[in-house]
Amino acid sequence: MESIQYPQFDLKRSKVHIALFKNVSNSGQVKSRIVAAATAEGDYGLQERAAVNFAFVEARLITSRQHIETAIYQAILAEEAGTMLTKTVHSEILYFLNPTHNISEAIKRYGISTDTQDLILVRIDEPNVKEEAVEIAMKSVIQGNIEAFSALDDVTDWMTVKKYHKLSNEVAIAATRGNPAKEKSTIDTIVTSSVAMKNVMQ
Amino acid sequence: MNPPLSSLKLLESATLISQGAEAASISKVYRGSLSSEGVPVLLKYRFQKQYRHPKLDTSLTKSRVAGEARALLKCLRHGVNVPGIRMVDAPAGLLGIDWIDGITVKYLVPQGLDKQADETIDQLAEAKTLDQFGITIDALMNLIGVEIAKMHLADIIHGDLTTSNMILRSPQSTADKKNTELVVLIDFGLSYHSSLVEDKAVDLFVLERAFASTHPDFEPLFASVLAAYAKMLKKDWAPVQRRLDDVRLRGRKRSMVG
Repeated sequence: MESIQYPQFDLKRSKVHIALFKNVSNSGQVKSRIVAAATAEGDYGLQERAAVNFAFVEARLITSRQHIETAIYQAILAEEAGTMLTKTVHSEILYFLNPTHNISEAIKRYGISTDTQDLILVRIDEPNVKEEAVEIAMKSVIQGNIEAFSALDDVTDWMTVKKYHKLSNEVAIAATRGNPAKEKSTIDTIVTSSVAMKNVMQ
Repeated sequence: MNPPLSSLKLLESATLISQGAEAASISKVYRGSLSSEGVPVLLKYRFQKQYRHPKLDTSLTKSRVAGEARALLKCLRHGVNVPGIRMVDAPAGLLGIDWIDGITVKYLVPQGLDKQADETIDQLAEAKTLDQFGITIDALMNLIGVEIAKMHLADIIHGDLTTSNMILRSPQSTADKKNTELVVLIDFGLSYHSSLVEDKAVDLFVLERAFASTHPDFEPLFASVLAAYAKMLKKDWAPVQRRLDDVRLRGRKRSMVG
């Protein structure tokens, strides 16, 4: 797990924890747990919502750490400005990742699904929360191996990313034919930039 | 409701790098970082204009930040070398883009030789810089022509093409395999979308004038830019060429009114 500090934001959202989980074995179960937690009542409901208080991001659709960080940044900006289109800052991350304005599509594609194998967990929180505690909380929800973010390289499903962002026929991508490394970095730049400017996309 | 302060706080932690004579009236440019220990980003801040009604100011600023971001994304999708977008806070007037490590072409092309005495010294210094980048002046002009051509093929008109708005990446920065593009176009603050031959010709004409004023003794270099541009545009070059000739005769403004 890694932690990022954003001193410019309000304390309650100035620290972000992100972790890449590979080979997740309980994604179906986690998904039902999140859905159930949303409507659970009383103390139990509060407990459950606290336990799954993360953004659960489908890792194969993330092209780089910069990509997910950009979505996190724009989601925090939206929360701060009071312009969020979803209910929480964590779900807002999924909204920013998806190229369209359809929220349920964003959650379906970029959220956890029953066949998710690799997952990125994000927690936006105040700086006093201990990193160890967040990591323990993440591990208590997800059954899988936490790995360094560099392992994302083997996870990204470039074909699907191209499809969702309608990049296959773009000039920029055609120009990189025969140079897979260049193609990947081009896709990453376009996708990251799309997330950053989603708010002003028209 | 008070506007969110995070973007202003972000600027406080950043370093002001340019406030050029003309740019000062529109925006300020900073070098900063979105997170502690994050990579450097360039922050372009369109500050509040006191002479405008606040409501009008907000809506103009918003749409200009949006316009610049859209032009950048369109360029990226068309393979034009431009900085990637890192953050957009349109209501605050802030746009964050990738920091490009390099030097503007303005300082690479030999400048006007105002003072005869400095002539040889200047030229030596320039040659050395070009050498450091491992590129000849002709190759540089060629790269510029190619980038402008790609941009025009995407129907983006830059609006302010000068040698100050082009950056040659430093060799250290291209050593990282991810940054293979050499010449990067920047500052899309005045850009717009158009497929008109007229607008493309005027865009080129503006650059030609910029060459003539910034690098008076090296104006012929512009021919190399055009040659590379023509090669990229293929069949679309002829109309632009004809129109460029017209524009040269009459100047940038088509209508004689105003």
